[in-house]
Amino acid sequence: MLIPVTPRERRSGFAGTFVALCLGSAITSMSALAYASAGPQVPERLAGAPVLVRAPAAVRADGNFTPDRPWSPETVTSLAGRLAAVPGVAAAVPDHVFYAQPVVGGRPGGDGRGHAWSAAALAPYPLTSGRAPERDGEVVLDRALGAGPGTRVTLLTSAGPVPYTVTGTVDEAGPYLSDAAAARLAGGVRTIGLVTEPGADPAMVERAAREVTGDRGEVLSGEARAALEPLDDARIRWIGAQVLTAMVVLAGFVSVFVVASTFAFDVARRRRELGLLRAVGATPRQIRRMMYGEALAVGAVAALTGVALGVALAPVLGDLLVGVGFQPATFTVRIQAWPPVAAFAGGLVVALLGVWSASRRAAGVRPLEALRDAEVDERPMPRGRWIAGLVCTLGGLAAAVAGLTTSAAEMVPYVIYTAMALIVGLTLLAPALVPPVIRAATWPLTRLRGATGMLVRESSLAAVRRTASTAAPVLATVGFAVLVTGMVQTTAAAYGAGRTATVRAGAVVLPSGTPGLSDAVGGASALPTAVYGENVTVPAAGVTPEVLARSGTPKMISGSLGGLRGETMVVEEWLAEKTGWRPGDVADVTFEDGRTVALRVVGVMAEAPFGMLLPRELVRAHDPSALADEAYLPSLPGRPGLPSLPERPGLPGPVPMAGELGARVVDLATYAVEADAEEDRLVWIFTLLLVAVSAGYTAVAIANTLMMATASRARDLAVLRLAGATNRQVLGVMAAESALVVAIGTVLGTTVAIPALLRMRAGLSTSIGAPVPLVVPWPVVLAVVAACLLLATVTSMLATRTRNA
Amino acid sequence: MNSEHAPGGEETVRLSSVRKVYGSATLPVLALDGVSAVFDAGTFTAVMGPSGSGKSTLLHCAAGLDRPTEGGVVIGGTDLGALDETALTVLRRERIGFVFQSFNLVSALTAEQNVSLPLRLAGRRVNPAETRAALAEVGLAGRGDHRPGGLSGGERQRVAIARALITRPAVVFADEPTGALDTGNSRAVLDLLRDLADHRNQTVIMVTHDPVAAARADRVIFLADGRVVQEMTREITAESVATRMTSLEALAC
Repeated sequence: MLIPVTPRERRSGFAGTFVALCLGSAITSMSALAYASAGPQVPERLAGAPVLVRAPAAVRADGNFTPDRPWSPETVTSLAGRLAAVPGVAAAVPDHVFYAQPVVGGRPGGDGRGHAWSAAALAPYPLTSGRAPERDGEVVLDRALGAGPGTRVTLLTSAGPVPYTVTGTVDEAGPYLSDAAAARLAGGVRTIGLVTEPGADPAMVERAAREVTGDRGEVLSGEARAALEPLDDARIRWIGAQVLTAMVVLAGFVSVFVVASTFAFDVARRRRELGLLRAVGATPRQIRRMMYGEALAVGAVAALTGVALGVALAPVLGDLLVGVGFQPATFTVRIQAWPPVAAFAGGLVVALLGVWSASRRAAGVRPLEALRDAEVDERPMPRGRWIAGLVCTLGGLAAAVAGLTTSAAEMVPYVIYTAMALIVGLTLLAPALVPPVIRAATWPLTRLRGATGMLVRESSLAAVRRTASTAAPVLATVGFAVLVTGMVQTTAAAYGAGRTATVRAGAVVLPSGTPGLSDAVGGASALPTAVYGENVTVPAAGVTPEVLARSGTPKMISGSLGGLRGETMVVEEWLAEKTGWRPGDVADVTFEDGRTVALRVVGVMAEAPFGMLLPRELVRAHDPSALADEAYLPSLPGRPGLPSLPERPGLPGPVPMAGELGARVVDLATYAVEADAEEDRLVWIFTLLLVAVSAGYTAVAIANTLMMATASRARDLAVLRLAGATNRQVLGVMAAESALVVAIGTVLGTTVAIPALLRMRAGLSTSIGAPVPLVVPWPVVLAVVAACLLLATVTSMLATRTRNA
Repeated sequence: MNSEHAPGGEETVRLSSVRKVYGSATLPVLALDGVSAVFDAGTFTAVMGPSGSGKSTLLHCAAGLDRPTEGGVVIGGTDLGALDETALTVLRRERIGFVFQSFNLVSALTAEQNVSLPLRLAGRRVNPAETRAALAEVGLAGRGDHRPGGLSGGERQRVAIARALITRPAVVFADEPTGALDTGNSRAVLDLLRDLADHRNQTVIMVTHDPVAAARADRVIFLADGRVVQEMTREITAESVATRMTSLEALAC
């Protein structure tokens, strides 16, 4: 039987649980809907080809987005020819993708993916005006750019800005060049689209295409064509999935935390009532079931509300994710049944998990406690709590230190685990940590003459448990904020320091509005590409002696970098081990254009950013669309031949180059901060998102525990009024107590986070070999503390005011 | 001196050499030091003694709210020491009623819901007529839907008595039931307890420090320092009880 106890006095207690679960279910259902909608989609550009043939796809590890090996040019020609001969096929179109951006208003625009005009038939995109490009120097552009047929435009390609004449327009990003020009600019082909004749049966075409293709590729039709989404989109979707997963995990965890602490507080406050129920005949089991029943009832209503809210807000989240860059532009949220249902069930599970420990404690209340009057606050902390608290705290600190070897993007899970472990650990230890801090912090108050100081100190000390449980959420929030933001920013700063430590250059050119740098930018730049061996894709870079001199040379295990010219390569240790290559060996590797070349190994290097180094001209010859990530200049002021705007005296920082190059020159200090700007920006937004979610939750916890604490002190406050305190004095005492609690939480939270950060900095410094600054974004931390303070003061004063009234 | 004899019918509660030690091993507090007593059906016993004499502890041990350190308690033939927490709870629910000084009602429930609570806990179907009758018996007919906040102290104590009676328990334990009441309400509560013993053959055991209340009992047991020191079974008047108490308190000093 469930005892029909739904007391009105406990509305405040239920409110905290309700809000926490409602928020949790909303976040979960919203994120799950977004997650479920984030499947790959058939690219619009290829949607008009019912059957597509692609080069064999390698099995990729999670989070790996290296491209597949392209076909050789000979295979493309023969395969396209034989596919075109299949009955029902009107055309077999090899899809040449290359880098090109139209320069509009002096700046490069579009996403940089150019195509051959014949591939426009795969969508299909009809001309909206003019005619198709037929020879070199002719281009079809997006109508939205406003350049009609006959207009002269500049296209930025990997070689640099090139003049073109517009021959026509389409309703797609483009640009489209003649097939011959596209084939020259593009690397290898990985997709051949089949345009069918009217009335042809796609299933028959598919079967015939499969016979023709054999093991040279994979034939896709229908939804399976979604496998051809651009790798960039796949990578963004993957990042989005990480963000959504982290949000759900954090929301679930924090809900359990808030619900558990709310119920624990509730049980402590209801000991008398629970004792009475036990005295008049409730068995421990019945008490437990009563607690579960209450949690389920509140949980069901809260989860339902939250899920409804989540479904309503999911499209907004979708837009937000696209806007921030966590989902590709094509992403929209589709409403489906299972995510809300799962979020609802999750809400109930969270409610039950949260009430679990409180229900055990409630069932342990002895009937005699109904007869006791005084609040017993001197119970020592149980040993289990000590052990669990220490294990979690130390585990969290260990995770913080272990996280230092990973890259910024991989660090995020560590950050979450660290923060979760620390929150739990510190909350468990709060009753032991809080009293000494109160004693120290309030010592000056004993010197004051007024009553407020004495009251604040003594009542905080007298009810240690109450003070500890209100300080715990503040401690958790501040600790989390300092640690997480500090970890992310210090790591970013460390990579910056690492970069400047090896770079020997006066200035660095970085892309601006482009995916990379064209050769026209000049300077010394490595050319990243991919080379393909048997079952392996290796990230490689084309370098020159000058590039190596400026960016730093890798440590050589055998051979030397000096021999790196002509058809040669230097390989990283793991690759040499995997393949058995040694200096002097000659091995076949396949390039981005699908051609296979025999290269001589001239050296083996230790750990390096690339698996293979090649001469830059070799890479350029085989990967016409490759773009450099950064170029090094000997000095900051404009180099002869490098177009740059007038120098701005006294202002270090970005010096814009001619806009059509899509590049800007920065000094080394700026470079250290900005090189990974895009990745850092995503990680930083992600971090702020996590801090906001956790701070929002702990806000609920703070408000909730303060409401309950104030409510249960009604009698104290009445006595205070009777003893002659004015309303203003009572409110003053409550406000000062709340401020004290927030201060204690802040001090403890910071005290725990800073050593972890210092330890992490030391580790980073050793692994990078350069001093690393400790970066804590204090504005963010201060904002969190201020929010806690405001919330705590307002809540306790409001609760007191309603009591007084 | 132990109290083995009691007038009346069948034996319902027996305490044999009950010892109870509180506190830590280094600083033990002896609350009960070998108390034996028998309480028969249809009797009304008052337990008296100076503050700290162990009278409340005696009640808690006898009622199964607390476990003795040594010795045994038998209620209606069941040895409480042999029961686990759940079985003990069920026994309390079925055979024992409580009336405390501080009324001890669940503030969120109405008078009727408070009265029916033990039945609900036992998983029995609650007949509203039965609950109303119980309230009528204690003079609270028509006030069943009031919450404790809307009742006077005397009325709340009567609700507590109605709750103690709803399961027709063999024993009713009362801990200072008149402690917080005025004279008129005290008399009404004592009348109700007296009636239980006289007309329903229930055993009533009441801890009190009020000689007037104790004078309504059939027997008065005096405790001092955790032992039974005296017992009155005849000529129990407020004056005679007060005289004994005064001499005990004088001894204790």
